[in-house]
Amino acid sequence: MKAPLNGTKPLITSACYVRHAVSELQASARFASDIFGLQQVADQDGEFAFRSDDRFRTLSLSRDQDDGTSIGIEAWDDAALQEIGEQLSAQGFAARPASADECRRRHVQSALLANDASGNRIDLVTRPTRSGRRYFPPRDAGIVQFQGIGLRSIDHARDLAFWRLLGAEVTDWVGEIAYLRIDDLHHRIALYPSQRNGLLYAAFEVESLDQIMQNSYFMQENQVKIVQGPGRQSASRQIFLHVEGPDGLILSYVNGTAEIGDRPRPPRQFPLNPTSLCNWGSESKDVPELSAQR
Amino acid sequence: MIQLKDVSYVRLGSPDLEQAGQFATTCLGLQIAERGKKELYLRSDDRAHTLCYSEGDPGQQTVGFEVADEASLQDAAAMLESLGHPVHAGSAHEAEQRKVKAFIGFRDPTGNHIELVVRPERSGRRYFASRDAGITGFSHIGLNSTDPARDERFWTQVCNARVSDRIGDIPLMRVNAIHHTIALVRARKAGIQHINHQVQSNDDVLRSYYFLSERRVPIVFGPGRHPTSGARFLYFKGPDGMVFEYSVGVDEIEDEATHRPRQFGFEPTSFCMWGSKPAGMALPNS
Repeated sequence: MKAPLNGTKPLITSACYVRHAVSELQASARFASDIFGLQQVADQDGEFAFRSDDRFRTLSLSRDQDDGTSIGIEAWDDAALQEIGEQLSAQGFAARPASADECRRRHVQSALLANDASGNRIDLVTRPTRSGRRYFPPRDAGIVQFQGIGLRSIDHARDLAFWRLLGAEVTDWVGEIAYLRIDDLHHRIALYPSQRNGLLYAAFEVESLDQIMQNSYFMQENQVKIVQGPGRQSASRQIFLHVEGPDGLILSYVNGTAEIGDRPRPPRQFPLNPTSLCNWGSESKDVPELSAQR
Repeated sequence: MIQLKDVSYVRLGSPDLEQAGQFATTCLGLQIAERGKKELYLRSDDRAHTLCYSEGDPGQQTVGFEVADEASLQDAAAMLESLGHPVHAGSAHEAEQRKVKAFIGFRDPTGNHIELVVRPERSGRRYFASRDAGITGFSHIGLNSTDPARDERFWTQVCNARVSDRIGDIPLMRVNAIHHTIALVRARKAGIQHINHQVQSNDDVLRSYYFLSERRVPIVFGPGRHPTSGARFLYFKGPDGMVFEYSVGVDEIEDEATHRPRQFGFEPTSFCMWGSKPAGMALPNS
């Protein structure tokens, strides 16, 4: 990691949740559970929360457009939060400590609420709550865990600077799309150049190719829009299926993301063309960020 | 008992060799081994040919199986004659056409034209694909049967085939360690129901799905996964309505002595565990 805390500990360790504001809450919640296969766990503060693994929640949906969308990134501890806060402020990024109520709603111990240059809201949090009960999904979609996030970016250079301050590193480029690693996986976060900010997709890992394909046929049968896939990213070898629910919310099934070895290597550049984005030949027609045609 | 070693080739009649060759190279991905006046030889692996189109009626469909040697061929001929299957002893010219040392021809109980061959030719040069479909070789056939139970007896009692699994009363039969080399398919008349080529990886199956879809080749089943053999598959239609399959990851039967055929119900999930449905291709029992 680029900005290690006292030599060994990274500043951030995982992507831990997505909070998302939608206009049709009931329909979006039905999509997340009945169709996508997440376990709905609570209905508090006007929020619907969902589990995908042993974490207390990894997706929550609300109607609160003012609160909008934010993604949760777990920081190592409060010392890391403090260091991140100082570095972000020094570089001119907005960041403030969360109130007790904001922490309660996020089910975390403490948090620093930051904005990247595009205006994406990034919650840096400590001690996100885990659940003692195992994850029990409503249908056999084969979800293993919340895997990562795709973000839209309108200020690419500054957004990259933001993530690099947190210790993320670019593993590969497709055109200007940046895959960012924060642990031993090829990427947990992908930044897509866009005309607007916001969440592009939230990705959930499934057991194997079988579940990617089963879910693909399940979506077809239920007339759910498949935005792209089944496909495979050339750079990360990640197999993916992007599906769209109400309000344009894109949830993704992924499997087989490459691990990054111990040996450092510079990021590789892939051209922005359909083969780089999908080695199998699937194309996104309606979501410009996922397409080679901008 | 007739000891089949492996499936060797398929011969298909075609009214338009040009069109057949075009599909075989630009879509299927085979290599042209030899272009004769009335015959087109295609390679898929280190054998000299595994598919041959000859000018004629598409109803002419033949499958060749390899046996050990000429003595086995003579024994097989005698046995088939004694069971009432008229045997045609291949002439030297006909053997040359098939790129084999010697062969006999006969019809199975359904009337499928079968050839048993000795010493089919290999090629010194490796297979070099016409397109990057990832083909590793010709592997098995789906064979029409008007009475699967009767034909299972023929293949397992007259020949050395063993049943690996059954879907309904449809047997998937092996002649070596590979899960199946002959898959019987219930049909009204004789014929080859599909021709399988193995590919390297899942990636190849999915890539070909998008590649062939873009070229408007009818995809008749898949991408999918057979719960029987474990293979990931894609079926699509070529010239004269012949169905071709790509698949990868066919199980091998680990213990020949103790393997017991599993019974699968005759239902869609027995053919595809991913949920794909056949379109424009009948399921084997219908």
